[in-house]
Amino acid sequence: MRPLDWIVLLGTLGFIVSYGVWKTRGSKDIEGYLKGDNSMKWWTIGLSIMATQASAITFLSTPGQAYEDGMRFVQFYFGLPIAMVIISITVIPIFYRLKVYTAYEFLENRFDLKTRSLAAFLFLVQRGLAAGITIYAPAIILSTMLGWSLTATNLIIGILVIIYTMSGGTKAVSVTQKQQMAVMMGGMIIAGIMVVRYLPENVGLGDAVAVAGKMGKMNVVDFSWDWETSWNDRYNFWSGMTGGLFLALSYFGTDQSQVARYLGGKSIAESRLGLLFNGLLKIPMQFLILFIGVMVFVFYQFNQPPVFFNEGTKSKVYATAHADELRGLEAKYNDIFEQKQEAVQGLVTALKAEDDAAIATAQAQVSTYTSAGKEVREQVKGVIKKAVPEAETRDTDYVFISFVMKYLPAGLVGLLLAVIFSAAMSSTASELNALASTTVVDIYKRSLKQDGDPTHYLNASRLFTLAWGLIAIVFATYASLLDNLIQAVNIIGSIFYGTILGIFLVAFYFKRIQGNAVFFAALLAEAVVLYCHYFTDIAFLWFNVIGCVAVILFGFILQGLIGKRKKELVA
Amino acid sequence: MKDKHPVDEEPPLQKPPFFKSWAGMYWLVLGNLAFLIILFYIITKIYQ
Repeated sequence: MRPLDWIVLLGTLGFIVSYGVWKTRGSKDIEGYLKGDNSMKWWTIGLSIMATQASAITFLSTPGQAYEDGMRFVQFYFGLPIAMVIISITVIPIFYRLKVYTAYEFLENRFDLKTRSLAAFLFLVQRGLAAGITIYAPAIILSTMLGWSLTATNLIIGILVIIYTMSGGTKAVSVTQKQQMAVMMGGMIIAGIMVVRYLPENVGLGDAVAVAGKMGKMNVVDFSWDWETSWNDRYNFWSGMTGGLFLALSYFGTDQSQVARYLGGKSIAESRLGLLFNGLLKIPMQFLILFIGVMVFVFYQFNQPPVFFNEGTKSKVYATAHADELRGLEAKYNDIFEQKQEAVQGLVTALKAEDDAAIATAQAQVSTYTSAGKEVREQVKGVIKKAVPEAETRDTDYVFISFVMKYLPAGLVGLLLAVIFSAAMSSTASELNALASTTVVDIYKRSLKQDGDPTHYLNASRLFTLAWGLIAIVFATYASLLDNLIQAVNIIGSIFYGTILGIFLVAFYFKRIQGNAVFFAALLAEAVVLYCHYFTDIAFLWFNVIGCVAVILFGFILQGLIGKRKKELVA
Repeated sequence: MKDKHPVDEEPPLQKPPFFKSWAGMYWLVLGNLAFLIILFYIITKIYQ
């Protein structure tokens, strides 16, 4: 990191934190602290919703995902706009009519206290875990790439967020997220422009996309369905439209970290418009981030990529007896790249000439070298596993940050690091704010201390924000790397979201089912989802559908049994 | 000194912009989704 990078990074973060504290200074009541005094305009709500969902993992992992797997991850978001419309029509009017602080308050109104507490508990468990990962994920990557201490990085992210979230509550979260979104999108667009500029002179944007397509990276939509295999395919049109829809319905309709964003709106119309704004822009935003990942992939077709992107792990292997083995494989990988260069240039020439026969020949050659390169990378991962058994051998999360650190000029590195920090802070702030409001409103105020005055609950909200912040930092410090980070967050979400969504869908649409039936149906549904997670190969997106459908089905069955029993008792 | 935010003093929206009813806004969002899926399908086919 050069001095200019430090200035840009510290200046950006310092401004955002100070602005959040200053703009919301003097929050004096619980209404203002938890609902932002219902003063938010639609664009603030929309940006806040997008910033909450876009964590640092989005900016670190998604380009890496595209580098490895192409554009198809965008299908994951196809259900989101439909969910925005459904929530705008059905959920928002009910929440506004009941003047709730949290989504779970509605459940007591519709069912009973135990169902409200169960939903709040499931939310606290899954969001509490996710908050830790939201801090940990960028911290582990930044600490590895920059040589910072992991604990210190966790602490920096956690403490910065705690400062303004504790100080200003929901409003501080929303106003800072506007600045954070500007930094995030500005930084990513600049990074995208830079990577295209760094391509060879004879390779324009169109040529780069064509090369990516011929190398299988422009696989944006896949409509195919195979009853045997597609259930295990995480990203296709059908899983995106069904699993993605259910996940988005759960996340935006029942997860307090998102519900709090639109409950702070000036009116129903402002809240609706904020959600629909997200429905319009989310897919293009994800497409852009994935596209930048694909451009980084094309860049590395013309520039030597590292054999393994996680330099920290590589350094550890160099310090072991396996160093020579790694060096040998690295040399072999570099040789393959040298040979591949000619084939890639041949592909570009053939594409420009629109010569189908030459394209096919060059494509076959490139494919052969790519497979050879992949084989060497697999061998490298084997060596890493032997040399450092505890090391993570997936390096896709390091692809983008590795490119940023190595190739971007002074100042832009600081800006891109500010993007990652901003993203980590924006989603963590929403999470801490939601965890605190759910703990205070649904547990503390409802079941533990009902006779406190507003100042007491305001102070309690601040203390719970601090407590959840510290829990998240501790969890982040002791978390170990889980598969792909973005997937880890989504898997944790999917395990609980289906059940929570099922409870809410029953509440909204199945008036016949009452409190006892839905409560036990939810417990059974959660058991089914956990069984699917631990004992089957079903892709995690389907857990949202399974959990939700199970709650509704069990709800009907149990309500039927309860009704029958009541009739027998009456008779 | 009291902090004044001109934006906060604007009256809240009661109706959707550009359209007479919310149905128009909803169709805009769903139409945008359909457009993006078709566009992505064309991109996939062209660059396959």
